[in-house]
This record gives sequence, C-alpha cells and structure tokens, in this order.
Amino acid sequence: MNEQQKTEFFETYNNGIHRFGRIMLIVAIIWMLSVPFAMGAVLGAMPSMPAFGKAIAQVALIYLPVAIVEFMIYAPMLGSGASYLTFLTGNVTNMKIPCAVNARDICKTEAGTPENEIVSTLSVAASALTTTIIIAIGVLLMVPLAPVLENPVLTPAFNNVVAALFGALGCKYYIKGLKIAILPFILMSLLCIFVPSVISNVGFLVIPSGLIAIGVSYLLFKKNRL
Amino acid sequence: MSVLQQLNSPAFYLICGSVIVFVVAMCIVFMLKSYRAGLALGMDKTKLKRAVTSSITFTLLPSISILLGVVALSGSLGVPLPWLRLSVVGALPYETNVADMASKSIGLSGLNASEMTPQAFTTIALVMTVGIIWGLFCCIFLLKSYMKKLNGAEKKSTKTKGGRNFGDVLTLAMFIGLVSAYLGSYIGQFTADKNIVPIITALVAAAVMGVFYYFTEKRKIAWLDNFSIAVSMLAGMAAAVVVSLV
Repeated sequence: MNEQQKTEFFETYNNGIHRFGRIMLIVAIIWMLSVPFAMGAVLGAMPSMPAFGKAIAQVALIYLPVAIVEFMIYAPMLGSGASYLTFLTGNVTNMKIPCAVNARDICKTEAGTPENEIVSTLSVAASALTTTIIIAIGVLLMVPLAPVLENPVLTPAFNNVVAALFGALGCKYYIKGLKIAILPFILMSLLCIFVPSVISNVGFLVIPSGLIAIGVSYLLFKKNRL
Repeated sequence: MSVLQQLNSPAFYLICGSVIVFVVAMCIVFMLKSYRAGLALGMDKTKLKRAVTSSITFTLLPSISILLGVVALSGSLGVPLPWLRLSVVGALPYETNVADMASKSIGLSGLNASEMTPQAFTTIALVMTVGIIWGLFCCIFLLKSYMKKLNGAEKKSTKTKGGRNFGDVLTLAMFIGLVSAYLGSYIGQFTADKNIVPIITALVAAAVMGVFYYFTEKRKIAWLDNFSIAVSMLAGMAAAVVVSLV
C-alpha cells in the first residue's frame, strides 16, 4: 500500500468507526435508560419523577460542564475509536487515558498518526474487556472474596491505587517533560496546601493544571527549548 | 423478602448483565476492526499485540480497585446496579456522590440500606444513569467534526523542533497536567490532614518506575516496559499497607 492508498484506507476506516460508534452509543443510551424502568417493573415501583428532576438538576450543574470539558480535553488524546469506547465504558481519567497513553508510549507511535489511532483503540478495548472480566469474576466470587477484599490490613492498598498509578506515571512523564512539569506541579501543590477544600475536587483541578501545562509546553516549543 | 434481597435477585442480574454483554461485544468489534486496519496499514503484528498485552497488564490492578467500588456500593444498592454502573460509563467517585445526592432528593438521610425503598432505588438508578450520559451525547454529535477540525489544525501546525512535533508535546503536556493535579492533591492531603499514605504511595511507585525507566531506556531492555506500571503500582500499594501499619 502506498501513502495515498494508506490515507484513503484510513479515511474509509475512520468514517466507518464514526458511523458504527454513533449507532453503538445510541443503542447503549436507550438500553441503559431502560434499565431503571425494567427494574421498576420487577419491583413494582417506577422512579419518582419530581425527585428525579430535583436530583438531576443538581447533578447536571456539576457534571454537565465536567463532561463537556472532559470530552474536549480527552478526545484528542484518545482519537476517534478509542473515544467512543472510553466514554461508553467509563473510568476515563483513572484508567482509560493513562492506559492508552502508556500503550502508545510502549508502541512508540506519534500523535495524530493512523498508527496512534489504532493502538489507542486496541488499548482501550483491551482495558475495558479486562476490567469487565475482572469485575464479572469478582461479582461471581463476591461471597468468598469479600473477606479478602475487605480485610482491613489491605484496605490502604486499594484505597491508594490511584496514588500508586499517578506516582508511577508521574515519574515516567516528568522525566520526559521535566521543563513542562515544574510549573503545574508547584502551582497545584501550593493550591492544595493553601486551599485544602479543592483537594476533594481533583477532577476540577485537572482543568487548570492541564491548561498551565499546555501553555508552558507551547512557550517552550515556540522557543525551541524542548 | 427485604429490599436488598430484591435488588440482588436473578432478574436484576439479567437486566444489568444484558447491557454488560452488549458493551463487551462492542469492545470486541472495535478491537477486531482496529487490529485488521492496523494490519492493512502495514503495522507490525508484534506492535499490535504489545498494545493489547501492555493494556491488559496495566489494567489489572486498577480493575481490582473498581471491583472494591462494587463491593462498597453493594451494601446499599445491591450487587447488580453497582456492577453495571462501574462497568459502563461510570466511575466510583461519581457514582457514590450522585447516588448520595439522589437519595437525599427522595427524602432519605443518605445512601443508606436501612431506609431504602423500591421507589427510592429506581429513582437513584435513573439519576445515576442520566447524570453521566452527557459524554456519550458529546461523542454522538460532536466527535466527528471535532476530530476533523483538530486534524486540520494539526496538519497546519505540525513542525518538528528538537525532534518532537507539537502533537506529541501537547499530549505529553495534557498528561503532565493530569498527573500534577493528583500529585498536588496528595501533598495537600499531607499538609491539611496529616495523611501521609497517598504521597508515600506515589513516591514509592515513582521510585520503582525510575528503576524500570533506567533498565528500559538506558539499558534498552524493552520487554520490561510491559510490567513497569503494574509492578510499580504493586510496590506503591505495598508501601501504603506498611505505612498504615506503622
């Protein structure tokens, strides 16, 4: 396949991914929305619409802007196929993004290339399948596993799994972009030290932190200092 | 039959299991499509397989923590709903927070098994489902045009300076921003609550990753990279247990 054929093939593949992804998400939304009502039919008690309205107004106030910002930030990092799967399977910041970036790093693909898109999609699909299988096995073994999983000695390990993840990834990416990392790291640390109330909303902190890192990287790139 | 027993009935497993089976099928379809496209584009089979195996090893430990989330929520919402929520679209901090908000809106004192009624449960389930659905709508309506715009911008601005193109730098910067927010919060937890466990966990994981980095990048033992994240995380988690015991 020459370059021209490759470009054409990738464009056809990408269009197919968008068509399939959209259909998949529409089916998924309808199916997911039917779950509470199917449960209601089994229980003989449908959801209370006034209570739903009250709760969803509060939830949307927080999570609608977060969802839009997450989409704007993470979709370019993931690519098309991986975005459809990531937003469908969830656990975006704590698993899918680091997983896809790690796979691309290991496979040494460049951002914006078809190879990058393929590796990201494979990575997110493999990650989602692994999680689903582990949770399904765990659910099956819920009774015998519960004493082990809930053992107070092991609780700190599982409570800090995200800290372990970001520690490991932090080392990897700070080495690669130390000049970019200094300012966001210092500013975020100072913010969390002097305004501790923000600690419980790390999801929101990611936005200014990401913007600062992007700004620094742009300046360094412009000045050819990277 | 108590409400909790009803929430763990086979019918509920069937309802939630059907959605999960659909999602699994979709993951397999996407995987096959991208694998075939990769081969057609002339990508190395080993590279494609590495993408899959590294992602599986990467995901193993965080998956166990997600399973713990199912365990944590199962006490008040039964097993099937948390199983579904944490397998499709959801994430533990969101689910816990939203379930609590929904419980209060229906008049419960919080997410509490002893106060749970069938109607409270179905209302909570609906709020949890609708409250996180926005990302899916963004993908349906905006993803194609957004990616097109980005690709256009990237083609125009891609210039190599110092051996890197700006697309790579941008991805690295976004990721550094994400990591910095979390690391800052661990430092804040230490200064505000004297909770040293998260920062020690992160530091130990980082130190072990540093050792892996030395062997994979300096000594060029590339295969070790597949295990770097999982082993570093295990070391960090072990440190969390030790620090908590001391």
